[in-house]
Amino acid sequence: MSSKKITVSIAGIGIISPLGIGLLATEQALRKNRSAITPLTVFPVQHPSPLPVGQVQDLSDSPLPRTHRLAITAANQAMGGYTHPPDAVILGSTTGGILRTEALLAQGEQDPEKYRYHGLSTVAEEIAREVHCTGQALTVSTACSSGSVAISMALKMLQADEVQWVLAGGADSLCRLTYFGFHSLQLVDQEGSRPFDKNRRGMSVAEGAALLLLTNQQPTHSYGQILGCGLSCDAYHSAAPHPQGQGAAAAMKNALDNACLAAADIGYINLHGTGTPDNDLAESRAVRKLFDPVPPLSSIKGLSGHGLAASGAIEAAVTAICLERDLLPANTGCLVPDPECKIHPIKKPEKQPVSVALSNSFGFGGNNACLVIGRSDNKPSAAHEPHKADLTILGKACITGAGHTKESMEQFFRLESMAGTLDLKDIAKDLAARKVRRLKRFSQMALALATSVLNDAALEQAPHSVFMGSGWGALSETHDFLDKLQSSKEQFPSPIDFVGSVHNSAAGQIAIMHGATGANITCSGGDYSFEQALLTADNFLRSDEKLHSAFVLAADEFHEHFSPLFDPSVDGNTVPADGGGGFYLCRGAVPKKTSVRLCFFSGNGTDIIDPLIAALGGKEHLQNSCGMILAGIPAAFADDGEIQLDHFMQQTGLDIPVIHYRKFTGEFASASSVAAVMATHLLESGEIAVDKKVLVLGFGKNITAMEFGRQ
Amino acid sequence: MDTLSEDLKKKLIEILNLTDVTPEEIDENAQLVGGELGIDSIDVLEMVVMVEKEYGVIINNKEIGEKIFSTLAALTDYIRQNSPKFS
Repeated sequence: MSSKKITVSIAGIGIISPLGIGLLATEQALRKNRSAITPLTVFPVQHPSPLPVGQVQDLSDSPLPRTHRLAITAANQAMGGYTHPPDAVILGSTTGGILRTEALLAQGEQDPEKYRYHGLSTVAEEIAREVHCTGQALTVSTACSSGSVAISMALKMLQADEVQWVLAGGADSLCRLTYFGFHSLQLVDQEGSRPFDKNRRGMSVAEGAALLLLTNQQPTHSYGQILGCGLSCDAYHSAAPHPQGQGAAAAMKNALDNACLAAADIGYINLHGTGTPDNDLAESRAVRKLFDPVPPLSSIKGLSGHGLAASGAIEAAVTAICLERDLLPANTGCLVPDPECKIHPIKKPEKQPVSVALSNSFGFGGNNACLVIGRSDNKPSAAHEPHKADLTILGKACITGAGHTKESMEQFFRLESMAGTLDLKDIAKDLAARKVRRLKRFSQMALALATSVLNDAALEQAPHSVFMGSGWGALSETHDFLDKLQSSKEQFPSPIDFVGSVHNSAAGQIAIMHGATGANITCSGGDYSFEQALLTADNFLRSDEKLHSAFVLAADEFHEHFSPLFDPSVDGNTVPADGGGGFYLCRGAVPKKTSVRLCFFSGNGTDIIDPLIAALGGKEHLQNSCGMILAGIPAAFADDGEIQLDHFMQQTGLDIPVIHYRKFTGEFASASSVAAVMATHLLESGEIAVDKKVLVLGFGKNITAMEFGRQ
Repeated sequence: MDTLSEDLKKKLIEILNLTDVTPEEIDENAQLVGGELGIDSIDVLEMVVMVEKEYGVIINNKEIGEKIFSTLAALTDYIRQNSPKFS
């Protein structure tokens, strides 16, 4: 295997958490080792004694929702001293603007404009605006591992040398959904989180944000290095970890392998350690499986609480600071270590030099992500050379208002609209009722797609990994959870709805059904969610030796109350529509199969069409190779989108058919995934000459290009 | 016929969306969690919410919870003994 020396340095750190605002305050809180967990005050609750949580004090005011403000505070800190904008922003978030949405819904607010910051992608977009980044603003939502997954994605992009500066991390504010949701699962310790203590009863839900400015260039000051990352999926249960910590151990091992290090090289482990009986036991088992002797270790969640999507980034930042300061933070709250865990977390903050540490993050859906973090004086790590191979489509499937793949494509070839909402029974016709009894529309749609894709590929072996896109996630579960919460005066929300409401619930279910224990990433990029999933799959499939194949899917459900409020392309006059599509992809060429390439993904800055054309091989190449364009212009961006498309056609001088695919699919965020299946079908049915390519272009808020061709 | 037991069967089918099961098919002495119905820890929590909401019985202790939800008969007995509705 070829390898090259590449260093990914931490050039800036922004951190805001219950421990304080900024590096100095955070370090002082770690040294003082006094729990910052206090009874909830961020929003009012009806119960007279609110549960203990980790909340940020003194957050600056602005018209933006709380998650956005946390994220922007961290972003500005991380960019301090740098005037050049980053090439990309990658943010992990699970709550987005939902704290505000909850309040608006309770007031019965019906003005969609008020809900414009609901979407997860708006947090990354606001960060990008704040730091003047016109490149990719990506959003990952893998529950409590989101922040670490975002940093992992940045690492892959920097190792491939596609970008030089990336601002990556996580942000989540406290909200009713997570506060009452974790409580409904009986996972909250009424006395505050005390990870690994024998009397621990659960976690403390918290909030915060951390962003790392990462670079493969020489920064003016380095706070350390990201040496490797490892992802895995338990493929075991939607909310409980694998009891033996199988997925956790796999993620730690993958991270060590990725960094080309052995377990003995790790001098400190920053544990996920939420304080729930199950997590801490499973994690300690996983650690003991890999490490003998076990290095010094601690979870800081007894100090800060569990910042959910922010936690992985907060803890990566804390780990980096601690390495720089020769400080090992304490496992606050653990008075008597649980004998069953058989580990001995650090009792008091210790002064000890360590050069390489591991930081663990695990989430719902069995979503695991581990980072290897090194001190700035580390030797450059040997990174794997990325494989610049095409991605080949082994199977495809879609669901639209017209039906599954066959019915949808027949409708399309008759040039009739597929827009509509397929009956749930038809969506799930190939799924066992017992298997999907707890799942609502979005997750059933995703599972049905995965099953159809696998059938179409006619392969027994399912892919190892899942890359999922969704603009809005599980709207039914989110609606039903909040509805029951409100109607029962905050007494009886549904734990099943809470577990199902996370954006990555569908991808987790796919992993369980098909035994996909590799990377499992859900992206939420509004109308460009499928493209974000494809971009992420591309980065992981070509850089990770262990990953050969993946489901790459996207889906969105129409919800009669939420879709018109949240999706700016949906209003009272829009035909209700939903669905999704996707592929079984493998790395490398397969004769006679169709290949897909994500050629371009960018914000919609000025003069963006020229770089788009260049990324597609230039005007002449396009004129020779391109047979058809499927153009996606979301209704909310119709004016800008049409101008962008016109500009593209004029600049290229292309005289080929252009199909506005949303006229066929209807308006929903992951319509581009159906367009991708349409493009593949056009090629495979012989409608397009074998030597021609089909482009699926996205316009509006982002400019994207996917290229499909026969091999 | 035990009305409480029959009510619980119907509620279980409804809240756990067991669309392919009829109340008659549920054996009240069979293992409830991890048994044939495929009921797991999250379902138990959903039942905890239902039991509190419908019968005013609070179950927030894992050890006791495991006993109460061992069979439908045990759950019925516990509710009958502890619910204000039956006192």
